[in-house]
Formats: sequence, structure tokens, C-alpha cells
Amino acid sequence: MFGKGLVKGLQITWKEFWAPKLTVQYPEKQHTVPERFHGKFVLDVDKCIACGLCANACPNRVISLNKQKVGKKQYLTDYQMNIQYCLFCGLCVESCNKDALHFTKDFNMNQYFYKNIPLVLVRREAPAEPLEEPAMGGEDQPKPKLKPQAPKEEKVAKPAAPAAESEAAAGKEGQ
Amino acid sequence: MLENLFVGTADWLRSLLGGIGFLPTEIAESIVLLVKLVAVLVFILVNALWLVYMERKVAAFMQARIGPNRVGPWGLLQTTCDIGKLISKEIIIPKKADKVVFLLAPVLIFLPPLMVFAVLPLGKNMAALDLNIGVFYLLAIASLSTLFFFMGGWASNSKYSLLGAMRTVAQMVSYELPLVLSLLGVIMIVGSLNLSDIIAAQEHTWLIFTQPIAFLIFFIAAVAETNRCPFDLVEGESEIINGPYTEYGGMGFAMFFLAEYANIMVVCAMATIMFLGGWHAPFGLTFIPSWVWFFIKMYVLIFIVMQFRWTYPRIRIDQLMGFGWKVLVPLSLANIFVTGIGMYIYRAIGW
Ligand code: SF4
Ligand code: SF4
Repeated sequence: MFGKGLVKGLQITWKEFWAPKLTVQYPEKQHTVPERFHGKFVLDVDKCIACGLCANACPNRVISLNKQKVGKKQYLTDYQMNIQYCLFCGLCVESCNKDALHFTKDFNMNQYFYKNIPLVLVRREAPAEPLEEPAMGGEDQPKPKLKPQAPKEEKVAKPAAPAAESEAAAGKEGQ
Repeated sequence: MLENLFVGTADWLRSLLGGIGFLPTEIAESIVLLVKLVAVLVFILVNALWLVYMERKVAAFMQARIGPNRVGPWGLLQTTCDIGKLISKEIIIPKKADKVVFLLAPVLIFLPPLMVFAVLPLGKNMAALDLNIGVFYLLAIASLSTLFFFMGGWASNSKYSLLGAMRTVAQMVSYELPLVLSLLGVIMIVGSLNLSDIIAAQEHTWLIFTQPIAFLIFFIAAVAETNRCPFDLVEGESEIINGPYTEYGGMGFAMFFLAEYANIMVVCAMATIMFLGGWHAPFGLTFIPSWVWFFIKMYVLIFIVMQFRWTYPRIRIDQLMGFGWKVLVPLSLANIFVTGIGMYIYRAIGW
């Protein structure tokens, strides 16, 4: 019969009108984020050995890190990601053989000002003297190359701070 | 009490003005009329605002979304907010546009709906003006909006606007014909051009039951008249950007946009009066005021028009013309013929 399709179309939209709605009202409700989601980065500072593999692995040169030699060890002073160029491919996370770099499920990295976009995961000053395991060196301690600083207690204490705290600090800076 | 809410208000106003004493009756009467017309204008504007919101909600609901829900409770203030935004925008006049006509078109576009609503009986004794050639007046005025669309399209001096305007004229003129012809059946049965008479004649049987074909034709032609999907070739976004409104921004665009909804209201109100018994309550549910019934019927039709938009794809211009001239016009002529014969037979057997 002519016009059957027209009526059928109306029936479908009518049924759809009463069907449950699929919209998830974002800021109040969210879809569950999948387990392996590629979101904001966190760095486990204690695990990181400042080897720079992650920076090398990155196709977009997103990661820039600075290190200083403290004692015999490399000491990470600065770890910054220009997240606006990141394509969240995960090569950096994969390349880290100390399992220090991770994704989180947080995808909201919006900033009001452009200068706030880079994700600062670590920013700290190197201690003048190696703190832990001084005996490990065996021979006499080589002087750190940086200009000797008056050992400020709080600055020294910072490297030992758990990764979560520095992450939170980075997050706060990011806000 | 509620039944006479508006009529009572008008009477109260009249007696108030009469009570002042020194006013001649004519002036008092014209003041009442003016108040009525302003009320109609406000009614149209508020409804147009609501219809934009409703359209978006209906669209969303048919697409498994929930639509505007941020501004005000359930997003009710969304359109108000949009209008605020549009008002605050610059009015851009293209360099080569015909300035006077360009600015006049969006102002005048609200005229036809207003003039039509002035004579529509929105409830028992609730026509602002009761004309005895109501149907004739309605059809004459309703087709006026073609002119304003064309003014806008022509004055913009843009190829898309002009194309859209030409389409408006072609479409509206060719669908005016089945629209009028389908109403002829109604007028033949009722034997009057007065809207109140037509409604009174439907007290027992709505004319949709005696004239179903005419109703279908009327409704299809009405949807085409208001440039709604599936006949929205006038503003076919994918082809000619936005038709006659292409060059309009800010409030000019908003006026055209609101006028579209006002026109939908007009045709749905007309369909309600002609075929759905106007303000008559079905099943003897007379405890609900007549104007509420009118409203409900009108809004059911508006909902169907909206459902059309979110169900059907847009048809081509040649299909549109073909459908109008090859299907609707002959069908409406046949309907008149059959109605005439039927009336003779009824009269012969002395119904
Ligand atoms: S996810 Fe890819 S692009 Fe982003 S920082 Fe890591 S390696 Fe670079
Ligand atoms: S995050 Fe991993 S790969 Fe990158 S510098 Fe630290 S240890 Fe090396």
C-alpha cells in the first residue's frame, strides 16, 4: 500500500520518543573510564632514574627532563610534558623500563591560560650531597657539579617525598 | 470560572472603560480591541519561544538525547537565552543589499500570523474579531508571508537567498491551491465562511470524520506552506545554506526563525478549527475550558508536524512540485466532487 513506509517511519520515531535516553550528563555523571585509558600522566619519582628513555621514545618530543649528578647517581630535577603536543600513544610509558611513568584515568587537562598547559610532573632542586646510601660509593665522594648550595632542609626533604605528593603538587600547579 | 477567564477579563475591561463615563463607546471599544491584539501578539511570541524549545526537545527525544537542560529548570529558559544572544549581535547589512527592503522583511514577517490570530476563535466567544468571511480572510492573509520571504531573499542580493526565495514562491503558490481546495469541502458542508459557524457545525461530528481526505490534503499542504520538513526546500541547508535568511544575522534571523513557528501555529490552529472541532470538547468533557481544548488540539497537531521533521528526509524540488500538482490538486478536486455528490444524495434522501 502506498504510504505504508511513511506510517512506519512515524511509528519508529514515536516509539523512540518514549525510549530511554542515552545521554550521560557529563559534569555530574560520567561514563566509566576503561582500565587501560590513556589519560593524564603520573611519574613515580622514586622509581625514575632519569635515564631519558621516555623522552627519546616520544615521537613528538613532548617530554623534556633535566637531571643533575648527585653523588654517583643522576638526580631528576625537572620533568615536564608539553601535553598539548602529546598524542597519548603511550610509547613513553612503554619505554620506561623502571615502570615509573603511568597513565591515569583523568582526562580533564583543560587550562584557562596557555602557559598552564604543560604538565609539570617534577620540579625540584637537587640536594648538594647525596642523601641515602652514602657508603655505596666506596671511594671518596665526588663533588656534585652544581654550584654548592647551602643545604636547605625543606629542599632536601622534597626528593624523598612520595610521588603522590609531587603529583598532587603538579596537579595543583596545573589547575 | 476558568471557562470565562478571558472573555470575563475583556468584559471587565469594557465595563471599566464604560464606567469612566466620559469616553465615547467607540473609543472604549477600540481600546478593548487594542488590548486584545496586544494580548494576541504576546500569546504568539510566548508560544513561538516555547515552540523552539519544544522542537529541540522533541528532536532530542526522538534521537535518544535529552535536549536543552542547562538554562533554567529543564532548560526552559534556553530560547530566551538564545534570543538574548541574538539581540546582542550586530545587524549586518550586505553592501549591495536593498537596505530598506532588507530591514523591512524581518519586521513584517510577523504581520501575517498576528493578523490571522486576531480572527481565530481560541475558545468559546474568544475571537478578538469575529469576521463573517473568516476563512477567506485567513487564506488571503496566510499566503501573504510568501511576499515577506521573497522580500528578504531578493533584498539580500545573494544567489542563495534568491534561490531560496524563488523556491518559497514556487512552493507556497503551488501548495496554496490544494490548501484552499481542501477547505472547499468543509465550506460546502457547513455553508458558511464564518469561523464560528464552522466550529458550531462541528459540535457533534468533527469534520475530520466527514472529510478525512480533505484533512490529509490540508495538513500536507499546510506543512508545505510553512516550509517544514519534508518540504523544507526553502532553507535546505545542504543545498542553499539557509535560503532567504542566509544574509540575516542576529535579530533579523531570529524574527524569521520565530515567524516559522508562528506560522506553524497558524496552520495548526486553522486545521483545528476546520477539522478538529475547534474548541469543542470531545466525549462531553466540558469541565475542561474550551480554550484549553483548543490548545491541546493545536499542540497535538504541532507535535505531529515536528515529528514529521524528525522522521522524513527532505524531498527534491521536482518531487515537491510533482506531488503538489499531480497528486494533491487532483485529489482535492476529486474530494470536492465527491463531497458535492454526497451532499446531493443526503439531501435527496432527506437527512
Ligand atoms: S604518549 Fe606518546 S606523544 Fe605522549 S608523551 Fe608519551 S610518547 Fe610522547
Ligand atoms: S620515566 Fe622511566 S624512561 Fe623516563 S626517565 Fe624516568 S626511568 Fe627513564
